[in-house]
Amino acid sequence: MSVLPYAVAAWLFGIGLYGIATSRNFIHLVGCLGVCQSATYVLLLGLGYRWGGIAPIFYDHPPGTPAVDPVMQALVLTDIVVGATLTALLLVLTIQAHKRGGSLDPEKLRPMRAGGTSGRGQGASRVSDREQSTS
Amino acid sequence: MSPRVRIALLALAALVLLPGAAEVIAGLPPFGSTIAQYGERINAITPEARHVANMVSAINFDLRGLDTLGEEFMLLAAITGTVVLLRGRRGEGNTGHAMRRPGRAVIPRSEAVILACRIAGPLTALFGLYVVLHATVTPGGGFQGGVILASGTLLIYLGEGYAGWRQAIHSHWLDALEGGGALLFALCGLVPMLTGAAFMQNILPLGIFRDLFSGGLMLVENLGVALAVTGGFTQLFLEFMEETRAADEAEEPGEESA
Repeated sequence: MSVLPYAVAAWLFGIGLYGIATSRNFIHLVGCLGVCQSATYVLLLGLGYRWGGIAPIFYDHPPGTPAVDPVMQALVLTDIVVGATLTALLLVLTIQAHKRGGSLDPEKLRPMRAGGTSGRGQGASRVSDREQSTS
Repeated sequence: MSPRVRIALLALAALVLLPGAAEVIAGLPPFGSTIAQYGERINAITPEARHVANMVSAINFDLRGLDTLGEEFMLLAAITGTVVLLRGRRGEGNTGHAMRRPGRAVIPRSEAVILACRIAGPLTALFGLYVVLHATVTPGGGFQGGVILASGTLLIYLGEGYAGWRQAIHSHWLDALEGGGALLFALCGLVPMLTGAAFMQNILPLGIFRDLFSGGLMLVENLGVALAVTGGFTQLFLEFMEETRAADEAEEPGEESA
């Protein structure tokens, strides 16, 4: 019973990783990364938990009452905030990849041309990318 | 790489890493029996030393304030990157007003939705302010309250529509909120040095334990975080929403690359 939280964390991380490895869609991939990240929430909160401990807020309970680990809770807070903004950043990169490649499939991601024919030629190279990937 | 090869590689990596992972998991403390000594000491000392009741805020804004400063700038960098990527190809000029895609119908909202949002919006904002202000006494703080405040602004969008939302929310204000919040946090670290104290040392009066204005410098840092998170997350909503309004790029053959 005492390993259940750690097992849940490992399971979440595992299925998230499996989803990332087999993903055929960038949005699905970002979601899988979120699943991986929730494994870290479970792990951190599990590490900081103590049976019978109160939340580390000594307003209703006097200081000195056994409480759970506040460091882990602060870490999870950091984790959530960073995760939310990074998800936004990754979704923007997804939008960019879709605009350039016309596809959300990681398999069809092609290297970006380093502006060989100036930025104006971007539309043409995108079309040729699409032809390559369908052939 | 075909999906089958990818799965095979993943399984191979898992096989290699599994013994190490099992070793680490077996070495973890049993769940629920004890907590780390560091957290134990913080719980024991901080209420008297900093006059605050919420240990999580005490760690975020005082004991490990430097780490939160780093997190704050990570947030700033991620949001700046998002905005630059989204705004880059739209151009700076057209963000001041609501854009509408030609040909997209404007669906009128039912009066019930408008009424519900007009009631819930201010209440959500009030609750967000409450959570922000009570950072040092009850569960709450700048991060959580800031996100609630940002969702309050989203209710304006739901109730008043996009054009009304853009009239109420100005992109430049959001930039100022976000950058100003981060600046305020950085100043909280630097100003104590002018008095000869250490970086981010709590030089303000600490106040009374369990009082709303306890914690000294933590309150200012908390306010900075709340401003940055509110501005940043609203900015994210705004930029993503604007993205759905951008005209199809297929109609512009000579578009600039982002």
